[in-house]
Amino acid sequence: MRRRGVLGGLVVAAVVAAGGAAWRLHLFGPHYPATPYDDLLNQIADRVPARVFGGAALKTMPGANAAGLARALRGQGTLAALAESDPAKDRVTEVSGWVVPESVVRYAALAALV
Amino acid sequence: MSAFLDARALPKDTVLTPDLAIIGGGPAGISLALALADSGLNILLLESGGMTFAPPTQGLYQGSETGVSYVPLESGRLRYLGGSTNHWGGWCRPLDEIDFESRDWVPHSGWPFARKEIEPYFARAQELVEAGPWVYDAADGAASDSGPVLKLGEGGVYTSWFQFSKTKNGILPTHFGERYQNELKRAAHVTTLLNANVTGIRLSHDGGQVDHLDVATLSGNRFTVKPRHAVLAAGAIECARILLASNDVMKAGVGNGNDLVGRFFADHPIPRNVATLVLFDGRCAPFYSNFLTLPNGAVMRAGLSPRAQFLRSHGVVGSLTTIENEVKLDPFATASVETTAEALGVDASRARAFSLGCGMELLPDPERRLTLSGERDALGMPRLNLAMTITDDDFARFRLTLAELGRQLLAAKTGMIHLSYSTRAEWLKAMDWGNHHLGTTRMHDDPKRGVVDADSKVHGVGNLYVAGSSVFPTYGSSNPTMNLVALTLRLGDHLKKVMA
Repeated sequence: MRRRGVLGGLVVAAVVAAGGAAWRLHLFGPHYPATPYDDLLNQIADRVPARVFGGAALKTMPGANAAGLARALRGQGTLAALAESDPAKDRVTEVSGWVVPESVVRYAALAALV
Repeated sequence: MSAFLDARALPKDTVLTPDLAIIGGGPAGISLALALADSGLNILLLESGGMTFAPPTQGLYQGSETGVSYVPLESGRLRYLGGSTNHWGGWCRPLDEIDFESRDWVPHSGWPFARKEIEPYFARAQELVEAGPWVYDAADGAASDSGPVLKLGEGGVYTSWFQFSKTKNGILPTHFGERYQNELKRAAHVTTLLNANVTGIRLSHDGGQVDHLDVATLSGNRFTVKPRHAVLAAGAIECARILLASNDVMKAGVGNGNDLVGRFFADHPIPRNVATLVLFDGRCAPFYSNFLTLPNGAVMRAGLSPRAQFLRSHGVVGSLTTIENEVKLDPFATASVETTAEALGVDASRARAFSLGCGMELLPDPERRLTLSGERDALGMPRLNLAMTITDDDFARFRLTLAELGRQLLAAKTGMIHLSYSTRAEWLKAMDWGNHHLGTTRMHDDPKRGVVDADSKVHGVGNLYVAGSSVFPTYGSSNPTMNLVALTLRLGDHLKKVMA
């Protein structure tokens, strides 16, 4: 009885550990090829809608390129922090009629470019 | 004498000699007659129509239009007792203080007095329009049982409140003719003359006084009214027509020595579906899109209005944005919402979207004007032509307010908006109008800048006044009826003094 309990506990622990590793390694989430900008793009859990939106954003950003966008974004803080602070600082812009934080537009444009 | 009389039955060439003739039995004319009913003055209320809609009478309103597409002149108003209250929506809200100010970013702006001048009359005006207890922007707390007001970040737009005219035990707004006919009949010194069309204001030879009014019926009767004083209360379109057509002594028309009568016509544009509002949590209190009846009986609806501070800082004018129907988002819109919500760290899995409506204030424009056309109506009066304008600037200024609303929604992580229109063609395609006729006999102390003075008296004519929204020199975004009634009650007090 005791042996059975120990084995059961080990199985549970193994499942938990495997799940944690999978989560850590993004095994169950969307998976994207590595890019030079993953330090930025990994902040976007689902890049599919971001790419759609970013594609429209790029139409308002003639000459935009991934390297330039990344340069502008690095060191500015996290996407979450920027998206939160942009509206309060009047840093909003329009993309195809949507009023959005400027930093969200830049991140989405970067996602669309890679 | 107190009665409802039919002008068609008056003996031909009758001469009536009231103390005061009120031309027009709409909300202004009826409110004025009731306000002066106990003054001891003999009052004659001249109404073109009868008690119900009649196509031949309504046809007297026909005219032509040029410029931006607008409501046909015979459609946006009604010509029988009660006037356009017979089809109004009942929306009420007092003008804001800033609406009365002269503003350097609004050409031709400013009333000759501040809002406090008509505030004493709001309570009685509110009673007359039957909009219940005065609540308006104090409703946030009272409405909280029905849901929260939208959480917005600090900024230029806030939740504003309208009240609604509701007849006692009824669902329709107050139709002034039907509602107040018994009060008019009971008033000892008020005679209401139906089917009586004023076709001309005839001045003394020096032009300084109204000598008499020409009155005609569609049945062919014609007679004369010689009042001590006259008040033109026929609505902003018809007031201009009567003044312009009365051109026997003053060739440009009565009160039109400075070519202002008929200019500065205005209305509230109400383009449809101006934006889409997305609320991330999907929750929108019902009072934004439907009536809310408070325990005290006031019937309310919330909208979104710009603060005075925002108007000043951004050089915009008034507007009301309303939340209308729930709408579905297309795939791109969904991607926009998901991307933004995720960046903000907000769960948008229950997001809902709503179309936004609006009422815009127009900038005063002297070229938006009524002039006499070559056509004549069944009574021989010249018809009108309306040259309608709306500028790109009008649209652009309102768009700034919508964008500010979008910014505040993001700042509060409440939601976001999509602006529907960016080109003039798009705006015009969505255009509709409030049928709030304003501005054609504007009020100003300087006769070179206004048709009537601060007492609503026509400049240069000693005994002629104008009541109604035609005197509004700047318009605000509030619906005009309750405000024009308040202004008319103020005129009533003035007339009591000068006619005593």
